[in-house]
Amino acid sequence: MPLETPVIFKNVPTPPWGSFADRTYVDYDAYVKAGGYEALQKGIDGGAESILSEVKAAELRGRGGAGFPAGMKWGFLPPADGEPRYLAINADESEPATFKDQILIQFDPHTVIEGIVLCMIACQLDTAYFYIRGEYHHHRDAFERAIQEAYDHNVLGTNARTGKINDRWPNLYLHRGAGAYICGEETGLLESLEGKRGWPRIKPPFPAVAGAFARPTIINNVETLANVPFIVTHGADAWKKNGKGRPEGAPPQVPASFGTKLFGISGPVNRPGVYEEHLGVPLKTLIDDYAMGLKDGEQPKAYFHGGISMGVVSQEEVEAGVAMDFDIGKKWNNLGLGTACVTVIPQRVSMVSMARNCSRFYSHESCGQCTPCREGTTWTAKLLERIEAGDGTTKDLDLLLELASSMGSMPGSTICGLADGNNWAIRTIVNKFFHEFEEKVSKSSTVSLAVVGGA
Amino acid sequence: MAWITKDSANTQIDRRDEPYLSAEFKKAFDEKYADRYPTRRALSLPILHAIQHEYNYLPYQALEEAAEFLGIAVPELLDTATFYEEYFLEPKGKYTIWVCQSVSCEIMGEGNITQAISDKLGIDPGETTADGKFTLMKVECIGACGAAPCALINEDLAEDLTPDSVLKRLDVLD
Ligand SMILES: Cc1cc2nc3c(=O)[nH]c(=O)nc-3n(C[C@H](O)[C@H](O)[C@H](O)COP(=O)(O)O)c2cc1C
Ligand code: SF4
Ligand code: FES
Repeated sequence: MPLETPVIFKNVPTPPWGSFADRTYVDYDAYVKAGGYEALQKGIDGGAESILSEVKAAELRGRGGAGFPAGMKWGFLPPADGEPRYLAINADESEPATFKDQILIQFDPHTVIEGIVLCMIACQLDTAYFYIRGEYHHHRDAFERAIQEAYDHNVLGTNARTGKINDRWPNLYLHRGAGAYICGEETGLLESLEGKRGWPRIKPPFPAVAGAFARPTIINNVETLANVPFIVTHGADAWKKNGKGRPEGAPPQVPASFGTKLFGISGPVNRPGVYEEHLGVPLKTLIDDYAMGLKDGEQPKAYFHGGISMGVVSQEEVEAGVAMDFDIGKKWNNLGLGTACVTVIPQRVSMVSMARNCSRFYSHESCGQCTPCREGTTWTAKLLERIEAGDGTTKDLDLLLELASSMGSMPGSTICGLADGNNWAIRTIVNKFFHEFEEKVSKSSTVSLAVVGGA
Repeated sequence: MAWITKDSANTQIDRRDEPYLSAEFKKAFDEKYADRYPTRRALSLPILHAIQHEYNYLPYQALEEAAEFLGIAVPELLDTATFYEEYFLEPKGKYTIWVCQSVSCEIMGEGNITQAISDKLGIDPGETTADGKFTLMKVECIGACGAAPCALINEDLAEDLTPDSVLKRLDVLD
């Protein structure tokens, strides 16, 4: 059943309810007119516990890639001790093929800000930093404008309607990144916020205990927080009507896929863009009904279904019923749902070149702290360049697979998940499209000058 | 990312008498940013952006002045400045063209876009034209994948590019 009414994109015109062309910046007044900041009032009246328990009951899972339950994360915070506590909002959005958060940032920033302030109340966090990637220029201007509007209307700042949070007036600051994928990793982000190079930290301690400036810190993705106003206004049960629950009779430990999700679709399709649908929507529905199929008579071969780090699913798998929920990894042999932004790979594009593109990305973006990642990404990138150029051997393929599968999969051998991204991208591409790689390496590499049958 | 190496021992540092960071610059900067963070070092990214905004790159002397202003060691600030791709330690062109080379853009024809720019300007990615007008960079996903292939020209997004359309956009720049 298609989604009946948009939840996160309530104010952002999107097919089938609206048209991309009508998307404009929703300012404070327009937002309030559409029922905005009612959730905030409800949260203020109900208090921290009421917000926290509602978000926990909703089983809202992180939309930034890992799918960690937000309510549980918020519950890890130690009790307040009078010193500052922080919220860092992850708007780094640098995963290749991912462009969903930027729509909220440029068109409906107040939904995000409302979610931020509700989180600050629930977790008793006095200061929030909106870490936005450096390349988002007009998005940054839009968000700065929204922050100013929020201050002007006492959503934030001295005399904010929330009252003091953690004994301080709540503040929200935009912090601009400067072009580094690794600053999307949550502890890399914190280092960058502190003015250092974005080197991810060894955990524990987890950020909830010692994060920004060594103080308790919550880190959430933009889209995750944008769900909070609806949950607070309408309650967890209403929010959970959308999406896909856990299988019938499954115990509560089994993670579910409640709620809606933003799906970005790019590649050779008729109507690329960011859409909202139930979690659990078939990938095929997204391509056929939302993106309106492939253009110029192209045929699909495979998909990056959640940014490149999750790996690929093949057209056969999609025909067999790939559904976009948090179980996608287990069911279809990839790393997971990731950012749920899909790139369509058409038949004409070689999977060897896609693997080469991914590996180049990781070798370029590896921060260099961990040997398996720093050396492994560069090595796989070189191997793949060689294979693509037609200079590879069968042995190179074995080496490639061995390298890829030994990066990051052993807990403790690398600090963050970037190495796993390279691992899964390369492994799923090579394994699911082995024949393309075989063809590239099995050509005879020496030219015989012998003349056969010569007189 | 973090792989900028330089011939430190032989580097001649350009210096000038007039400071890069004027008193007004510092005052305006502190008024805007100082209260936002509990440490001075956290002002590193904002001040590097501010300097680059003013001078179009990060002159070494400006970094020294900024480090002193923030009360941190010069190498600490240099460490940060060299890590991030957006910061330029050498002068760059008046216009920087950042062509996205990630998967969606490659599928949609990034190769032809880069080639067209490269041919027209006579430079390879990473280089600046002799007249100092254009710098060409290939970068990873800029978050506009629905409009691939795409590029940033300074801070402006150029979407759904063709070799023709990108050259036309460059032609109108002065
Ligand atoms: C290499 C790497 C890059 C990441 N980049 C992003 C990113 O750009 N945006 C994001 O929201 N999360 C990113 N994440 C995930 C974050 O570490 C973190 O899980 C997330 O921000 C938590 O928020 P959530 O629970 O609301 O999803 C990245 C993780 C890794 C390992
Ligand atoms: S896994 Fe790679 S990116 Fe992550 S901390 Fe280690 S070297 Fe850096
Ligand atoms: S892949 Fe080019 S903008 Fe995302």
